Amino acid sequence: MTESPFWNDDWMAVQQKYWRNWNEMSRKAMGLEPPKSPWENAMDHWWQALAPSAPNSSREFVEKMMQQGKLFFQMGDQFSRNMTEGKDWQDALNQTLEKMQNAFAAGAEQSAGAAESGFNQMMAFWQNPMNSWRKLAGNLPLNHDMANMPNLFEQILNAPGLGYTRETEERYKQLMQAGLHYQKAFAAYTHFFSDLGTASAQRMKDKVTGLKEQGGAIDSARKLYDLWVAACEEVYAEHTMTAEYAKIHGELVNALMAFKKVWNELLDYRLGLLNMPTQREIRTLQCRLQESRRELRNLSGDVDRLKEQIAELAKQPTATPPAAETTAAPKPRKASTSRRKAASKPTSADPS
Amino acid sequence: MQPFNIRPDQLAQEMGDYSRKLGKGVQNLMNAGEIDAGVTPRVAIHHEDKLTLYRYEAPSDVVQNRTPLLIVYALVNRPYMTDIQEDRSTIRNLLAHGQDVYLIDWGYPDDADLALTLDDYINGYIDRCVDVICKRHNLDKINVLGICQGGSFSLCYTAMHQDKVKNLVTMVTPVDFQTPDNMLSTWVRHIDVDQLVDTMGNIPGEMLNWTFLSLKPFALTGQKYLGMVDVLEDEGKLKNFLRMEKWIFDSPDQAGETFRQFIKDFYQKNGFVQGGIQIGERSVDLKNITCPVLNVFAEQDHLVPPNASKALNGLTNSRDYTELSFSGGHIGIYVSGKAQKQVTPAISDWLDKQTD
Repeated sequence: MTESPFWNDDWMAVQQKYWRNWNEMSRKAMGLEPPKSPWENAMDHWWQALAPSAPNSSREFVEKMMQQGKLFFQMGDQFSRNMTEGKDWQDALNQTLEKMQNAFAAGAEQSAGAAESGFNQMMAFWQNPMNSWRKLAGNLPLNHDMANMPNLFEQILNAPGLGYTRETEERYKQLMQAGLHYQKAFAAYTHFFSDLGTASAQRMKDKVTGLKEQGGAIDSARKLYDLWVAACEEVYAEHTMTAEYAKIHGELVNALMAFKKVWNELLDYRLGLLNMPTQREIRTLQCRLQESRRELRNLSGDVDRLKEQIAELAKQPTATPPAAETTAAPKPRKASTSRRKAASKPTSADPS
Repeated sequence: MQPFNIRPDQLAQEMGDYSRKLGKGVQNLMNAGEIDAGVTPRVAIHHEDKLTLYRYEAPSDVVQNRTPLLIVYALVNRPYMTDIQEDRSTIRNLLAHGQDVYLIDWGYPDDADLALTLDDYINGYIDRCVDVICKRHNLDKINVLGICQGGSFSLCYTAMHQDKVKNLVTMVTPVDFQTPDNMLSTWVRHIDVDQLVDTMGNIPGEMLNWTFLSLKPFALTGQKYLGMVDVLEDEGKLKNFLRMEKWIFDSPDQAGETFRQFIKDFYQKNGFVQGGIQIGERSVDLKNITCPVLNVFAEQDHLVPPNASKALNGLTNSRDYTELSFSGGHIGIYVSGKAQKQVTPAISDWLDKQTD
């Protein structure tokens, strides 16, 4: 039954039936693995039909919600299957966490997108920091997966250039060296996170044990997901606050910038050959222009202050000269001169 | 009882609820349209480069504090956080409590602004805005409220121009940039800032977003979108969520030279505590601050830990130093319902008391 143009309850009924069947099978202790859930497929089909009419901003949100929804549902599914009645919960938990750790170890050797199972999806969480960085650095011509270049290549790069094209050759070698250095820094960054998935699985176990001791229970997939996020955040915060991480993180940023710097210099070199404005020239102009504007503003401020002071002085009543001096010579000019002096005095003393 | 009690039928129900909420709420999401932000009427009274100084319109039935209040926001993110929606607006609340509110909107710096320095921002832009307000009100000094990095700027400004600041309020302002719980400070320790700025020029907002999301990557890039499903069906709550989302990712680029000095002198050298901050031709010594100071911080602040703010105590020569602690986070102190009841009225009361 369709309730809105955006939603159809029919497929919901289908996959609820699937769950009822699986529940029934579990109770009969048939020991069979349930068939693959149609839920994800149904959601994907639903969204594929709807997405073309969705604005870009909405599309991104829905995709994020679907992605997280799949993840938290898969977690609930996996834990629920392992924690069947009659089984010792600690054994079951250990087995479950062991599977998670195995999935993480396997996932660490694959690319993030290769993880497919529920456990892999959970552990793919730990690809987040690397993926974010890849996205940030993604507009540069770097291959993040070329972590281990042969030493021979480095040795070749260390050899000095020769002949007419020596300088150009040197520039390109600097670029390649910077690229290699960056790849090493990225490998160190990735390696740093390689053990944290395992640590987070252990932390999850501690949290579940703690919950049990307090008499609590995980009774929903959402609660399980939230506990997993809390475990991951704790482990992440503890490790990224260390001096070791500060160094690795600093090295990663520095190595990327060093590469980009050489890249920019090469680009400038090429632009210069074409008689086009270079970044270096524009930077110089920007700095000079700002310096000029700063000076202009200061001068303009000085002029404004002077104008105000002159206006104030002009408002003051002219002192009535004593009768004996009224006949004295060229008063107006003298008075005018003294006003000018009075006006300029405070400004010249003004440090600004 | 075992700690796992997720039965398949419960799981099916939960999954069904989630799907239903997503499916039915997506219509609201697609119809959400443009997300408005900044709700209180205001008038631009001064423009300079990309900066705009706004004065907010006060309710006609409220007696205003005679001394206007200038809000100095951070360069990071946009200042409409303080006026995000009608029922959660720090500015609206300050107006309702009788403050005459001005705000500096820094705009979006571009490559032409690369060479702007802290001197240009603090002794230039802020000082000229203060002058404009003083002139309008025929006053020698005004009240200043600095937010986050804007709070650090306000401290610098007050230390260099104490004669123009009557009362200073700092909100979630870093002072000691190297407290052990400061994640950002740990991360920038080994970064070669000179190379970064020389290479990038302006620092892209996207780079800052990456840094802030990296503080809590699992909660901020995943968990919160699960929470979003819970508000999809409620049009009002969905709009609130989307407003926050817009604000979070509405990150202006940072003028390169300003970023260079701020990270080096404040984060890496911890200049407020260790000394040695030089802005233009002037040295910044917090001991030059003698006016009353109200220091407001958030107890669960993951960007500016409470101790980073509380370090201000004892660093100034103010005889009237007050702290206000809020049980919430860096953003919650502006947008939560609790903050509207606790923080803004307290700031306003404090300002009124100082002014009377």
